[in-house]
Amino acid sequence: MNSIGKPFRLKHKSVIPGFGITMGFSLLYLSLLVLIPISMVFLNSSSMGLKTFWEAVSTERVLASLQVSFTTSFLAASVNVFFGVLFAWVLERYSFPGRRIIDGLIDLPFALPTAVAGISLTTLYAENGWIGRLFAPLGIKISYTPLGITLALIFISFPFVVRTVQPVLQSIDLEAEEAAACLGATRFQTFYKIIVPTLLPAIITGFALAFARALGEYGSVVFISGNMPMQTEITPLLIRTKLEQYDYAGGTAIAAVMLVISFLMLLFINLTQWWASSRDKA
Amino acid sequence: MAGSTHGRIIQDNQKKLNHSSGRNSSKAVEILLIGAVLFVFIIILIIPLISVFLKAFEQGAGVYIASITDRIALKAVRLTLITMGFAVVINTAFGLTVAWAVAKFKFKGKNLLVTFIDLPFAISPVVAGLIFVLLFSTTHGVTAPLLNAWGIKIIFAPPGIILATIFVTLPFVARELIPLMEAQGTAEEEAALTLGASGWKTFWFITLPNIKWALLYGVVLTVARAAGEFGAVSVVSGHIRGLTNTLPLHVEILYNEYKFSAAFAVASLLTIIAILNLVIKNISEWKINKQENT
Amino acid sequence: MSIEISNVTKTFDSFQALKDINLTINTGELVALLGPSGSGKTTLLRIIAGLETPDQGNIIFDGEDNTEKSAQDRKVGFVFQHYALFKHMTVFENIAFGLKVRPSKHRPSKEAIQQKVQELLSLVKMEELAKRYPAQLSGGQRQRIALARALAVEPRVLLLDEPFGALDAKVRKDLRRWLRKLHDEYPITSVFVTHDQEEALDVADRIVILNQGKIEQIGTPEEVYDNPVNPFVYHFLGNFNLFHGRVHNGKVELGSLKLDVPEHAGTKNKEIVSFFRPHDIDISLEAGGRDDIEAEILFIRAVGPIVNLELKRLENGDYIEAEISKEVYRKLDLKEKQKVYVKPRDFKVFIPEDYVI
Repeated sequence: MNSIGKPFRLKHKSVIPGFGITMGFSLLYLSLLVLIPISMVFLNSSSMGLKTFWEAVSTERVLASLQVSFTTSFLAASVNVFFGVLFAWVLERYSFPGRRIIDGLIDLPFALPTAVAGISLTTLYAENGWIGRLFAPLGIKISYTPLGITLALIFISFPFVVRTVQPVLQSIDLEAEEAAACLGATRFQTFYKIIVPTLLPAIITGFALAFARALGEYGSVVFISGNMPMQTEITPLLIRTKLEQYDYAGGTAIAAVMLVISFLMLLFINLTQWWASSRDKA
Repeated sequence: MAGSTHGRIIQDNQKKLNHSSGRNSSKAVEILLIGAVLFVFIIILIIPLISVFLKAFEQGAGVYIASITDRIALKAVRLTLITMGFAVVINTAFGLTVAWAVAKFKFKGKNLLVTFIDLPFAISPVVAGLIFVLLFSTTHGVTAPLLNAWGIKIIFAPPGIILATIFVTLPFVARELIPLMEAQGTAEEEAALTLGASGWKTFWFITLPNIKWALLYGVVLTVARAAGEFGAVSVVSGHIRGLTNTLPLHVEILYNEYKFSAAFAVASLLTIIAILNLVIKNISEWKINKQENT
Repeated sequence: MSIEISNVTKTFDSFQALKDINLTINTGELVALLGPSGSGKTTLLRIIAGLETPDQGNIIFDGEDNTEKSAQDRKVGFVFQHYALFKHMTVFENIAFGLKVRPSKHRPSKEAIQQKVQELLSLVKMEELAKRYPAQLSGGQRQRIALARALAVEPRVLLLDEPFGALDAKVRKDLRRWLRKLHDEYPITSVFVTHDQEEALDVADRIVILNQGKIEQIGTPEEVYDNPVNPFVYHFLGNFNLFHGRVHNGKVELGSLKLDVPEHAGTKNKEIVSFFRPHDIDISLEAGGRDDIEAEILFIRAVGPIVNLELKRLENGDYIEAEISKEVYRKLDLKEKQKVYVKPRDFKVFIPEDYVI
């Protein structure tokens, strides 16, 4: 009844000063540096025409690169779900010497330049590398194979699941676990039926973040993959190669596909978080 | 620190839980899990980290020092520092303003704005480089006629490297500040205003001291990423030795020329920045926790 | 300084926080804004301070319209509910802040600031704690620093948002007395928000009772307690008993009980509700006349000087609460399950059609 005649307002009145200027600057900056540049990809792709675009992105080499990228990223993110939950659990629930150090170093892959990670991992896992030579007699090659790509992707996306799961695990109500124990649940049942469902949104978010990051990764993979077209060529590398060959249209078309995938991942992550927060509120 | 006290409380409860389901088996599981974590931690994180330094010194300290004081290496250091400076100054200014707008006011479309800030994290570094090529390339860019007319070179030149680096480091400061400033609310600012402080003085004397650690950490993240960015910079750089090579690109060139020790020597500089970054991160997290829990 | 609030309306999204508020606060008064949560009392206080902007209406200080003035320029002292002390500043720096941020033309000298802060510290009896940080203080101490900080700029209006809300009962009572004393010694107009009727009755010169964004009643503590204008106010200010009944030609019928109500002499056969306070009840062991109520004692709590009784009206099962003095209790030698006669000494009758609780 009282909404009639209420003026529509984009912003609530506030006594805190500076909204106009900070908002204006932020929007200008974001438009110039993020929105306009990104829109270039779509602008250029759309000027290509649907047929040319489709031909550019449906070549065997592009499809093979997408397959390599998706498989290795999916594998890496899955392994990190397992590692992430393990690390979060151990760091939050047990105290042991070195716990603080491990906790502090989890973010190393975010801090370390990807090129450094790339050359270090490649050297370690090459056939004559310190770790690679342990596997060579078994006939397992790591560097310059999809296995090596997966390994590099595990490294660079390692912190995501740990860091999304950790705070949730920290805030879990221990009384729920104790109640489950009092009701006769074993430790494993408690973990499986009480803790895992609570952690699920965080695990999914962490997985999605790790997967998205792995899909786009370039710096570390370029060293370890060997870059064999059709076999160990990831999509970002293919874009790079197209640009070096001055095939700007081809590179842009593939970039458009990757951007759409990125946006979908972002949307998925936001939806997951929205789902989690509305679930916890109820 | 709050985290460790919390941990201790959990620990105590853990013991209670263990009583109900057999202490020995729980203890065994605990040791097994801790062992697994230590193993993975060493294999995945520690060995690659240490091997950087071992490889760097493989041919002795002489080669190490020669590699990092090489003329071209020093030029790469210089370009990296300049790029870092631009990224830090501009993105700190942006981070502070956007965090102020987002955290201190209610308005429609806030979530969309925050998503836009995150975009540079969501897209591949290679695509990040590409978008600036599409804008500023003198052969294929939209602004090519203008750039050619004015004789400005952005792509395959330092400005392109700086732009791409600013792009990929854009979210760091903002992302550190927004949640903290949202949690802090506006009560202290309102108190300062009722005491007659101007908007600028309120920001300078009240808001800034409250966010200084998060701001520092945001800057450190920006520094680290700016120093280490590879994919985006590689696309726009053109790899002109001594002119458009940053440290990570220099590492790549050395590595591809099979100068492994030199490559790892330069990489070790970047690794030291990464370790400093982690140290400052942990200090600032500890400080923020302490500050927010009082 | 006097404060005049005229026709103030405020809406948040779809929630109307204040509906056409009119209120005048005189110079030197100590006024309480009392109401349940969501009644709009804090919004009103923040509008006076300039921390919120009204959708309509005006705020006038001493005849001068301040509606468009910013919070910085209004020169009011505001004490926040959770103190909003500056965490990174010492007690001294907190109090000095308002003086230090003045433009250099109007800024007092360093010595003058020092002296002013010392003065305030001794006023709030915290001289020794000048170098402490807010985190190192107790709740009551923080409250007093928040007050000293607000007073440092010599405001002519002091606004306090739930000033004692976050404190424990004992500290509350001390600070309440202290605030009253401070107000009496300081030439200042004070307005404070509270949801605690006892606090309002105890401290304020006048009480403004708010409910759902509207003023229900304004008056001295005595006036509002003794003559609540409607059931809401009666409800809100202390314990009560409630009977439903009818009024007809100046007589109230509450079951078998019939009472004279001269103020409703003209009313014909209407439903009413009747309120009376637990301490306005006489209890006797024998029937005294037609206006007695027969009741059974269910429960006695005889701790302290006042004895609380829970009774059941035999005629219809209504519960009645009564408070009697210990002497009366001893004299009558009351026991649980005993049958007694109850008579309200003073009661209020409201016709519900006029009011909706």
